[in-house]
Amino acid sequence: MDRGSSMSKATQAGEGRGGLSAQEFQAKLKTYRLNESEYGLICDLLGRDPKGIEWALFSALWSEHCSYKSSKVHLKGLFNTSKRVLQSFGENAGVVDLGEGERVAFKIESHNHPSYIEPYQGAATGVGGILRDIFTMGARPIALADYLCFGRPTAPRMTQIVDGVVRGIGGYGNSVGVPTITGQTEFHESYDGNVLVNAMAVGLFRKDDKVFLSKAKGVGNWVVYVGAKTGRDGVHGASMASESFGADSAAKRPTIQIGDPFFEKLLIESCLEVMKQDLVVAIQDMGAAGLTSSSFEMASKGGVGFKLHLDQVPLRDSSMTPEDILLSESQERMLLVCEPGQFKALSEVFHRWNLDAVKIGEVTEKKTVELHWHGELLTEIDPDLLVENAPQYKRPYKQLGPQNRVSSRQAWVDGLKSAQGAKKIDGLLTSLLRDVRGTSRKFIYRQYDCRVGAATARGTSDSVGVVRLKDSNRALGVVLGCRPHVMRLDPRVGGLDAVAYPAFELALKGFEALAVTDCLNFGNPEKENVMSEFVASLDGMNSICAALEAPIISGNVSFYNETMGKNITSTPSTGLVGLRESLDHLPESFFTEEGQAIYVLKQPGFVSGGYAQEIATGTQNAIGELDGRVVGDFIRGARQLSKAPQVRATRAIGKFGLAYALSRMCLEGVGAVIDHEGLKLIRTDVDQAALFEEHFYEAIFVVDGKDTTAFEDYFTAVRQVAPIAELHRIGRTGGTSLVIGSLLESSNKDLKTAYTSGWGENFESLA
Amino acid sequence: MSQKIGVLRFPGTNCDRDVFEAVEGAVPSTGKKPEWLWHADRFDAKAYSALYLPGGFSYGDYLRSGALAARSPAMQSVREAAERGVPVLGICNGFQILCEAGLLPGALVKNAGLRFVDDWVDLKLANANPTFARAAAEGSAAKLPVAHGDGRFVIAEDGLKRLQDNGQVWWTYEQSPNGSVADIAGVMNEKKNVAALMPHPERALYAWMGGTDGSGFFDV
Amino acid sequence: MKIGVKVMPRKEVLDTQGRAVESTLRQNGKQLNACQVGRYVVLDLPGEDEAKAMASAKDMAEFVLHNPLIETYELERL
Repeated sequence: MDRGSSMSKATQAGEGRGGLSAQEFQAKLKTYRLNESEYGLICDLLGRDPKGIEWALFSALWSEHCSYKSSKVHLKGLFNTSKRVLQSFGENAGVVDLGEGERVAFKIESHNHPSYIEPYQGAATGVGGILRDIFTMGARPIALADYLCFGRPTAPRMTQIVDGVVRGIGGYGNSVGVPTITGQTEFHESYDGNVLVNAMAVGLFRKDDKVFLSKAKGVGNWVVYVGAKTGRDGVHGASMASESFGADSAAKRPTIQIGDPFFEKLLIESCLEVMKQDLVVAIQDMGAAGLTSSSFEMASKGGVGFKLHLDQVPLRDSSMTPEDILLSESQERMLLVCEPGQFKALSEVFHRWNLDAVKIGEVTEKKTVELHWHGELLTEIDPDLLVENAPQYKRPYKQLGPQNRVSSRQAWVDGLKSAQGAKKIDGLLTSLLRDVRGTSRKFIYRQYDCRVGAATARGTSDSVGVVRLKDSNRALGVVLGCRPHVMRLDPRVGGLDAVAYPAFELALKGFEALAVTDCLNFGNPEKENVMSEFVASLDGMNSICAALEAPIISGNVSFYNETMGKNITSTPSTGLVGLRESLDHLPESFFTEEGQAIYVLKQPGFVSGGYAQEIATGTQNAIGELDGRVVGDFIRGARQLSKAPQVRATRAIGKFGLAYALSRMCLEGVGAVIDHEGLKLIRTDVDQAALFEEHFYEAIFVVDGKDTTAFEDYFTAVRQVAPIAELHRIGRTGGTSLVIGSLLESSNKDLKTAYTSGWGENFESLA
Repeated sequence: MSQKIGVLRFPGTNCDRDVFEAVEGAVPSTGKKPEWLWHADRFDAKAYSALYLPGGFSYGDYLRSGALAARSPAMQSVREAAERGVPVLGICNGFQILCEAGLLPGALVKNAGLRFVDDWVDLKLANANPTFARAAAEGSAAKLPVAHGDGRFVIAEDGLKRLQDNGQVWWTYEQSPNGSVADIAGVMNEKKNVAALMPHPERALYAWMGGTDGSGFFDV
Repeated sequence: MKIGVKVMPRKEVLDTQGRAVESTLRQNGKQLNACQVGRYVVLDLPGEDEAKAMASAKDMAEFVLHNPLIETYELERL
């Protein structure tokens, strides 16, 4: 059961408190989503019962969403630093040093619940919010990426949700002028009633740009409100995001938050300008729990007090109460601290961009936040009580051992055979290419501007998004991770894979993964199995982050992704940022020329029946173990090999295994022939299941056909880094079909037709 | 002849820096430096040898794309410059603004597919422009990216006939992404000093961008 | 029979278009208190029974023409 750190004044059930009858007291607890032990803790901290506005403050800042009360004890153990890290958790976003004066800020964040309720605005405001986290720090946003999990296309409202979310992301990102350069989209029944919309943003600091923090400083400095007026949007949104969906989720709607990318664009330009002129002492955006969280956090972090006049806050609706104002989640607003003497210069910049800057308070010495309303002092409270002293729960969990292991691959050999029935193997391949889980996402990506900024070198049609760093002529790679089907196989392996697979994809294009941001989407943490998966997946992530020296430096936790008692697949999505010394010889991801040699680079030791087995039989099995340190070395080796001058194209062999990866490479017209002898080098049993099983990890390397000896020599050096790595030549490019030994032959045309028509077959009205 | 090139900036313009840098990149051959022109201020129409109206979402595309920007003070100066014969290039939202300002014929409305389209398109040069991409021969091809929601060019039948008769159709799509009448991707005014297109030449300057066909648009 | 459907943003919901249009009008010296931007849909419906036409227009407005989370609508006989 839930347990606060103190139970001393917790009430007996049925007893009233704070001048309220038992019934009124219970109703109030429910409205403010606090439980009795939390109430007891509040009384302990205050030395009295909370009154008036304080209920709302504790409700918002002690919500799961703001306080991380179920996850904090586990997040403390995350691998979160390296010599490149300039800013880790605790600020709006993490910051990493790229050298040569360049730094990047990045973060991924969830907007799941709002996107299910109102898909367009939910997704749009998700993008807006994550962008504010980035430019709040002084970085200019240069890239966006979206991790989306939808339910089955046949689930109620799903077509409309997919359409709305995609339009919302495009509508905001395109207008505000930040390119969406990569993404990942998953479909599974566990998301039927609870979709995931995770948006990542990356921002760049150039040589002379300063990093700005939210830590308030300087007694006597002014607290300034900038941006849109405050409306009733999303009042109580933060505590709503901390609850499961019930049947009445449609009725439980605060006023929908409307995003205005145009306004945000003005805010970006004006904020970056006042920062460039060094007119800002501290700054934070008003996100979840709006003015409450921004002001209390800024004061708490700075170890100072704030005196705030809520009646000075610009309002869209004059009938709003102090509680509405404190909890409003109206978009495109910032809170900043500036020196009084610089307010004039600061407000001139905002006026030039058609925005208003309004003084709403001052920084004070006594470490309390005073809230004033037309001359009345509503409360005076130590910000630490709300920000630092939220209860921390050690929710019950079990240590999970290896899951779904078997001793032989017969489990999926039989499974695939029975599912396949009379169908030939090329039929199985094209059915996966047509399946919503394997088909082209071009419908989605075509709606996102992927080149605004004129720095995109690789966009959404590739496995890794790449933007050029203008000043140093280097390349920044961005990729998302977490494969829900691997999470369903084994949460520890899934967590490890959520970092390892995208790091591997980066390595295959020559990028070194520098750091990770994560968005931990889970079900109800009060359920033991959910918490056990949470702990296991963090353990997996941690092991690989440490091995790669790629720390987790930002992110968020989204619990209660549960509808009518059904939890989503535990989905710790990730975003990785990688660096490459130049844009030269960036490997392609397709077969583009005839007569080139095809190799497979592999790490033996862990194989699963994979997504194909799960789709065919509803279960997945695996053989072996995955060790973070070994994987880390293998990824380093892969990166080194991808830099061999003979390499033309690379691609990770991921979901659906070898045949699917090869067919994706055939989509540009040039085919491939894989020899039976070559297959035998990478598969112990050369049968049909061998083409679809998933080996952790493998990649295809396409190498200049005239220079294979040099390439193989190069590999010898790679073995020094990754002793476990194997390299096998399995075939060559050429022709207009994909031929795999005597097992499969399919024309590129058929593969392409399957891959490009699948979307329309699943979403008729969205084709 | 002036040695300055003006780049217009409206609230919500988001390709402004991209175009500015593209013009800067051509300085070694043109010797002409770019300069910002702010929407709220009028400017000296005689002071610039060319003007660029970059793409983006001026005023969020609210009401109608380009409508609000077209009524800004800076656009009055653009009009004066255009009347004096100064070359003016509109890209994407810049095209929409020039149409809304009446400096180019026709209008740009929602794509036929009702969705934003981001893609590479193949273009054909219908009639050459004396300033922008002047090196391209009529009938020649170019490959450029598009990224727009309101890119469908519409014009009344007699207007279209006048455009075609006067050689004012600049570029056409090989395969229209937006349902434009007569596959029109770019047009010019009668004097041919005001020209605009929906595709983004500033996003196709170097091989790493995926193509280089845009460079001739900034070499003025 | 023609029925007009006037769809407007809800008062408590931020009207992004209205805000942008209002600010441009003001900057150009136009006097106004406020500005809202909505949508107008004209339905040409079969039959001559006004009550029936209104009912089916209401049905269509509820079905797709407006989003009750962010908009309200009004019907008028044209």
